[in-house]
Amino acid sequence: MITIEGVTKIYSTNSVALRDISLHIKAGEFVSIIGQSGSGKTTFTKLLIAEENPTKGRIKIGDWDITNIKTDEIPFLRRQIGMIFQDYKLLPQKTVYENVSFALEVAGEKNRRITQVVPQLLEIVGLSDRRNRYPMQLSGGEQQRVAIARSLAHRPKIIVADEPTGNLDTINAEEIIQILKKINEFGTTILLLTHNREVVNALRRRVITLHNGHLTLDQESGKYIL
Amino acid sequence: MVYIGRILKFALQDIWRNFGLSFMTVLILVLMLLSVNALWSVKVITKEAVNLIKDQVNVSVYFSANAGEKNVTEINKYISAFPEVVNIKLQNSDEVLASFKQRHSQSKDILDALAELDKNPFGPTMIIKTREPGDYKKIIKALSVPEYENLIEAKSFDEHESAIEKIQNITSRTENIVAGLVLLFACISFLIVFNTIRSAIHTQKIEIGIKRLVGASNWFIRGPYLVESFIFSVLSLVISIALLYIALSFVDPYLSVIFPSSFSLTNYYNSNILYVFGVQFFSVLLLTVLSSGLAMRRQLRV
Repeated sequence: MITIEGVTKIYSTNSVALRDISLHIKAGEFVSIIGQSGSGKTTFTKLLIAEENPTKGRIKIGDWDITNIKTDEIPFLRRQIGMIFQDYKLLPQKTVYENVSFALEVAGEKNRRITQVVPQLLEIVGLSDRRNRYPMQLSGGEQQRVAIARSLAHRPKIIVADEPTGNLDTINAEEIIQILKKINEFGTTILLLTHNREVVNALRRRVITLHNGHLTLDQESGKYIL
Repeated sequence: MVYIGRILKFALQDIWRNFGLSFMTVLILVLMLLSVNALWSVKVITKEAVNLIKDQVNVSVYFSANAGEKNVTEINKYISAFPEVVNIKLQNSDEVLASFKQRHSQSKDILDALAELDKNPFGPTMIIKTREPGDYKKIIKALSVPEYENLIEAKSFDEHESAIEKIQNITSRTENIVAGLVLLFACISFLIVFNTIRSAIHTQKIEIGIKRLVGASNWFIRGPYLVESFIFSVLSLVISIALLYIALSFVDPYLSVIFPSSFSLTNYYNSNILYVFGVQFFSVLLLTVLSSGLAMRRQLRV
């Protein structure tokens, strides 16, 4: 599914974010990527959605080599990778329904399909009764669920969740992880970038550890070890 | 079609949901257009006033009584051939005499002295009007040749020369000052409008980032801002035209007192409506599109 071969990302001579990273993530895996701040987790995400280009190495999503992806192809790549962030990244001027439907509208989906799909997505994340609310009127957990619904809009093969529980209390964090597990059960590959030891340990799935830009540990059914 | 409809929908939503910013942008554009129209009106009034003064300046050529009709006609033909000459009014000796008598109808002594003469002492008079006051020198030079020396008794240009020069100086200076003011104001307005739109887009920086993350193409992000620019331009132009015509209804009565002709600013704007407001519309549109384009350029970098 995701193949990374010898990837290095250098911002400047004093700032090397990733050093010679190689790994392969199979379709349907649930992988936690852990590491301290500055270990290269965010750069890893940016490379996957082509927000940055690697200085060296190759990145493939399925058969698609995105190492030197063309600018006009980037929107298509991003429609195939669902993104979830710690700060939710919702459009504050749009309602819950509009935030989810927007992801489909930008892709030119027909209105009929949008009116069919969006209620289903809101149903999955349990927000059907909040569809006309604005993000500011929701709790953190609810906002994160909107972000998950939006990330599912294009039925992506991969979901990258960058610290999705970082701003949430334990109960809400647990709810979000349960939703991600449910999505994974349907065959979607999940990449969870997190600091949350409890979450990683409870998952008992593959854990990749980054340290100072190096891949230091790759455990098949691992625990949070830094 | 789906894309265009959605771009239009997002533009209208943005305007409505950011009503404060939209209102400020339109307000600044309206103020800019009103200022431009005020300067434009000053330019039109100045030009009309200068034309009015120029219209009252002409050169009179007084022929001697024995000049003869044939010579006068020949000189008339010669002067008419100059492209600078707008028209020539010729008065024969009798008309000059009648006009003199009418002018001095209250002065009995002058009329008695005139009656003492057994023949008409006046020769014909030629009143020449040129396009520009500066052209008079050329006409006078053309008449100051030895062949005409005995035929022409006097030319009145010398008396007007300094007045004409002053008018020319005032005209060119006024035009330069007004043009300078328009340019200065256009620059200030450009900077104000540019920064207003840039601030409006900067507040939506995060939103633009999110739109990119969910896979919106650059044109899908840029589209609503371009539509908004168009809507702002149309709105500000319509409002400024309405305010301008209200202002003209107050100004025109005063102008009709100053200008004896049928000149009015309302008539001017009515007869130049497409040109004046067309130029303003495309300038404002260019300004808003350029501002939003430049402001978004950074945000749209992948």
